[in-house]
Amino acid sequence: MLTYIAQQMVNGFVLGSMYALLALGMTVVYGILRLVNFAHGGLVTIGAFIFFYALSVLKINFALTLVLAVLSGACLGFLLDFVAYRKLRGGPEVALLITSLGVYIFIENITKLLASPQPYAFRPPPLFLQRFTFKGIIFSNTDIFIVIAAVVIMVTFAVFVKRTKLGIAMRATAERIETARLMGINTNKVIVTAFVLGSAIATITGFMWGAKYGQISYDMGFMAGVKAFVATVIGGVGSIPGAMVGGFLLGFAEILLVGALPAGFAEYRDAFVFTILLIVLLLRPTGLMGRKEAL
Amino acid sequence: MNTNFLFKHLKFLATATICYGLLLLANYTLDRYTLYIIALIGIYAIATSSLNLTNGYTGLFSLGHAGFMAIGAYVSTLLTFPVRLRIAYNLPLLPRFLGGPEFQWPFLPALIMGGLMAAIGALLVGIPVLRLRGHYLSVASLGFMVIVTTLAKGLKDITRGAAGIQAIPHYANLWWIYGWLIITVYVIWRLLDSSYGRAMLAIRESEIAAQAQGINVTYYKITAFVTSAFFAGVAGGLYAHFARSIRPYEFSFSMTFYVVIMLIIGGSGTLLGPIIGATTITALKYALKPIEEGLKIYGLVEVIYAILLIVVMLWWPQGIAGGITFLKVLLLKRKKGGEENVRISAGKADGA
Amino acid sequence: MSLLKVNNLHVAYGKIPAVTDLSFAVNDGQIVALVGANGAGKSTVLKTIVGVVKPISGSIFFSGTDITSWSADRRVRAGIVLVPEGRQIFTTLSVYENLLVGAYHRRDEQLRHDFEWVYTLFPVLKERAHQTAGTLSGGEQQMLALGRALMARPKLLLLDEPSLGLAPLVVREIYQMITNICKTGITVLLVEQNINIIIHLVDYVYVMQTGELKLHGTPQEVFTGEDIKRAYLGG
Repeated sequence: MLTYIAQQMVNGFVLGSMYALLALGMTVVYGILRLVNFAHGGLVTIGAFIFFYALSVLKINFALTLVLAVLSGACLGFLLDFVAYRKLRGGPEVALLITSLGVYIFIENITKLLASPQPYAFRPPPLFLQRFTFKGIIFSNTDIFIVIAAVVIMVTFAVFVKRTKLGIAMRATAERIETARLMGINTNKVIVTAFVLGSAIATITGFMWGAKYGQISYDMGFMAGVKAFVATVIGGVGSIPGAMVGGFLLGFAEILLVGALPAGFAEYRDAFVFTILLIVLLLRPTGLMGRKEAL
Repeated sequence: MNTNFLFKHLKFLATATICYGLLLLANYTLDRYTLYIIALIGIYAIATSSLNLTNGYTGLFSLGHAGFMAIGAYVSTLLTFPVRLRIAYNLPLLPRFLGGPEFQWPFLPALIMGGLMAAIGALLVGIPVLRLRGHYLSVASLGFMVIVTTLAKGLKDITRGAAGIQAIPHYANLWWIYGWLIITVYVIWRLLDSSYGRAMLAIRESEIAAQAQGINVTYYKITAFVTSAFFAGVAGGLYAHFARSIRPYEFSFSMTFYVVIMLIIGGSGTLLGPIIGATTITALKYALKPIEEGLKIYGLVEVIYAILLIVVMLWWPQGIAGGITFLKVLLLKRKKGGEENVRISAGKADGA
Repeated sequence: MSLLKVNNLHVAYGKIPAVTDLSFAVNDGQIVALVGANGAGKSTVLKTIVGVVKPISGSIFFSGTDITSWSADRRVRAGIVLVPEGRQIFTTLSVYENLLVGAYHRRDEQLRHDFEWVYTLFPVLKERAHQTAGTLSGGEQQMLALGRALMARPKLLLLDEPSLGLAPLVVREIYQMITNICKTGITVLLVEQNINIIIHLVDYVYVMQTGELKLHGTPQEVFTGEDIKRAYLGG
């Protein structure tokens, strides 16, 4: 019994790390633009597929693939902002939202078109599939990778945002964009950086998602994006540590719910996520650590 | 004041009669496939018009429309399904308070009940969520839709789960569909022409300003949301009894996206916009379908939709209907040579 | 020569005119005040000078150069710095980070000196250097806003209603500091509704009403005569 609980805790921690990373990627953009970037999920899908093609089809080694994928993700993020969002800056929030929706649908269906409507089996390099058992708890190298990578990225990001000039500029812009301009901060550059970073993170998350679930499909980004947003809301919109906390909590909650309920309810997993969202919105819309936004 | 009222109504009646006349003509001249598409256009027009009420006029970006349509579809179907077929298709018999095991509902009450249940759903979701900011509503309404479809898939004893329900009686035809479209447009038109409408437009422009003027913002938002859900439910019910088969996955995000894109491209915030949008997008879909099937490039239609949406948002956010108004004003300006107010008015029955 | 020269400025928000045909100048080393009732257009003038608002017509000269077409951050780099209305400090950043952000556009090595300078002027800020700016009192936040502006090495410091929302004692402190700042050679143009405080502090006054310049002169010239005061400033 104890082993079962411990196993679920470990599973929750791993899933939570992934969700925390997802939420971080989304919050980076949200904090500055107040935009729920639906396209974020799309970038996760693209990331997963890039890894898939590089690893399984082109047989490039993992380290190189990682670099390629992150760079591609960053470029895509830049492109996204340049093509779709830049023109709408300063306009009504809804416009950005609708456009990001359009971008997501575009990404989803172009993947469907170019790849296949059927899901692909995702095979990470054999090293990742190695499993270990420790006092009855099973985990694999993939799990270790997810946790370590997530922690490394989050810590790096935290340092970046606290210590570097650009990072501080990002925080300032996220709080008051007009005043930041008055300080001589090139807010355009800050926004582009946010998109680039967020997209790079999304790409890596794509690999994690594929490795964890063993398969990728053109529509995997939808739930990824949604969960990112739910995690952000739980932790508190606009707060970077909040997003990460929210991610962990969501991961744990999902594992616990699915584990605690009888088997037949497993398919309700996604509905759970949204129910949690609705409950949080009902009781505490600013989340755990969020700043008070005009609601 | 009274004559104006009468006049407007007469204009509306005239438009409705012309519309029906055209339908009659179409019915006798066009082939079955085209009529099928025309009927679908009608259903989508109802769905899009109802979405227009929240997204276009009140400024709430709801993404859960497919959820309301699903509720309407399932509820109305479960009520009207013929008794003798229920057992064969593993569908439940109606409990006592709904008429008992020997009963099946006639179409109109079932349709209305479907709409009402959708409206109640909207009320339940709306009350907590509508006091929050735009994007919260978007994702929460999305969540509502997912919860609805998950329940539809999960409650297998009632809904037959993912397999869906087939052999639904073919109650809905062109007349029913366009009849309801006229009702929907009429209700929205009257709503907009009243104090409700003014409040909604005020909210769309600036919630804070509206609140400062003493408008109970949440009340009007909920009204718009609930009304919109009712007609979405009706659209769902009509769809079920026209297409004769419904499955949970049909009411997923794709459906919501279709309706959203019909609204944006047609022109949100106008009465005719949704109808134009529904026509354009549906026609486009059926024009492109053979290419998609032939070349086996699945997803082509949606990619084109997505590109269209982005292009419209970037360069032509008023949509087609907005474009028509713009042209009208341009021509008027040439004739009169004076200044014209370009605001799209909400008070006309024939928008364009 | 004037450090700042504004010629025939016309500014409007959409169709609503905010500033009409405004011309004035500020000389090197002066403290100049722009006064007037609410809605007179004073804030708009400052925002136009710093480049956040674009005028319909007119020109702005800074040290003899026409800067009318310059972007806001270019003007900041040239030494025109605004302390906006309501202070607008970054509440989620620490005091130190706020000051750092103030010097954002600067690439030189003098940063440490300037930190010391600001800390000397405002010892409170040094005390609270690593505290989150949102926890500071109103007066301390104003000092932070001033300090932050100073970090930008301004030649022309624009202050939009520095006394707003502050207790009278604190206001006096703040204005004492502003005078000290001016003594270091920085030219100051400030907007203020409360003329009583500034009468003895400023070198020159411009009086605005509904977007137009109505009156100007030394404080003595402008503020003698109760009727003038009442007519233009509501007493």
